[in-house]
Amino acid sequence: MGIKNTKETKYYIVIPAYNEEQVIGSVIEELYSVGYRNIIVVDDGSTDNTYRKAAEKKIVLLRHILNRGKGAAIKTGLEAARLLNAEHVVTFDADGQHDPKDIRQMIKLLDDYDVVLGQRDFSDKHIPFFKRMGNFVGNFVTWVVYGLWVADSQSGMRAYSKKALVCMETTADRYEYDSEILREIVRNKLSYIETPIHVRYTTYSQKKADRQTYIGAVKTVIRMILAD
Amino acid sequence: MQFSIIQLILGFISLFFLINRIIRFLKKERTQTGFKLLSTLVVWGGILFTSLFPRTVHIISMNLGFGENLNTLIFFGFVIVFILLFKLLSSTEKLERNVTEMVRKEALKDVIKKN
Repeated sequence: MGIKNTKETKYYIVIPAYNEEQVIGSVIEELYSVGYRNIIVVDDGSTDNTYRKAAEKKIVLLRHILNRGKGAAIKTGLEAARLLNAEHVVTFDADGQHDPKDIRQMIKLLDDYDVVLGQRDFSDKHIPFFKRMGNFVGNFVTWVVYGLWVADSQSGMRAYSKKALVCMETTADRYEYDSEILREIVRNKLSYIETPIHVRYTTYSQKKADRQTYIGAVKTVIRMILAD
Repeated sequence: MQFSIIQLILGFISLFFLINRIIRFLKKERTQTGFKLLSTLVVWGGILFTSLFPRTVHIISMNLGFGENLNTLIFFGFVIVFILLFKLLSSTEKLERNVTEMVRKEALKDVIKKN
């Protein structure tokens, strides 16, 4: 595995990827097209050609030898960014649902806040009912367990300052990671803001086999409540 | 007031879990939240109360229309299952975290070397 880094180290885009061979290349290309070069892709033990496809690009490419979940992959990416002296980090989904044009605004907000949370517009009719319902349940459970109410507790697009990177300590490996970040905001008294982001729910992202299922969501809630 | 052996055992177990959670909460451990403290107080506090004051609980359960013997059995079974569930979940979580840490260390090997 080779480290391919660019000279600019001010901010990094972290992309956790699991079985995304169809889109990972185009997602990286899209980030390139709007000027982002410092990209860290964490292949979370994919069983397809995600790693090979990502290796064709000039990025920092990391690989989990076993699938450990989205939260674990993001944490690995954030850890790598910290080691590479990143000042700001933005997390970005690998399935192409996020718009790279939203990154600029998020980084700008990091001048005044420690954490910027991407907020999807759930009033949009194109967003599936499953997503809307799941988000409300996620918000509610996060509020009950961790004491912070936000409009989108499960958004994968977030930006972190160096201060946040250093003081956040998370252990969740899977989808509850997103809520655990909110616990860390409360625990470390970090300043935060939610900012609207665009989402593109494509046929691809909806048909993906590993997306959060109803049973998976219930398991996530149970893990959040019963975790020691 | 005299307590039977089973009351004392249950009382000690409940106290252990209660004190453990309260200490961890007061220490402001990373994973401890008000919700977890409240859940522990309700569940283990309830078990402690039931073990120490079974008559009071009996009166309450009779007023609510529950039976006697079978419910006592179910109650003890519930306590045992609860302890096992917590222990099992806790050890599985620890194992999972260790595996993830090993996988992460391996993934970051080159970045660490480079720095």
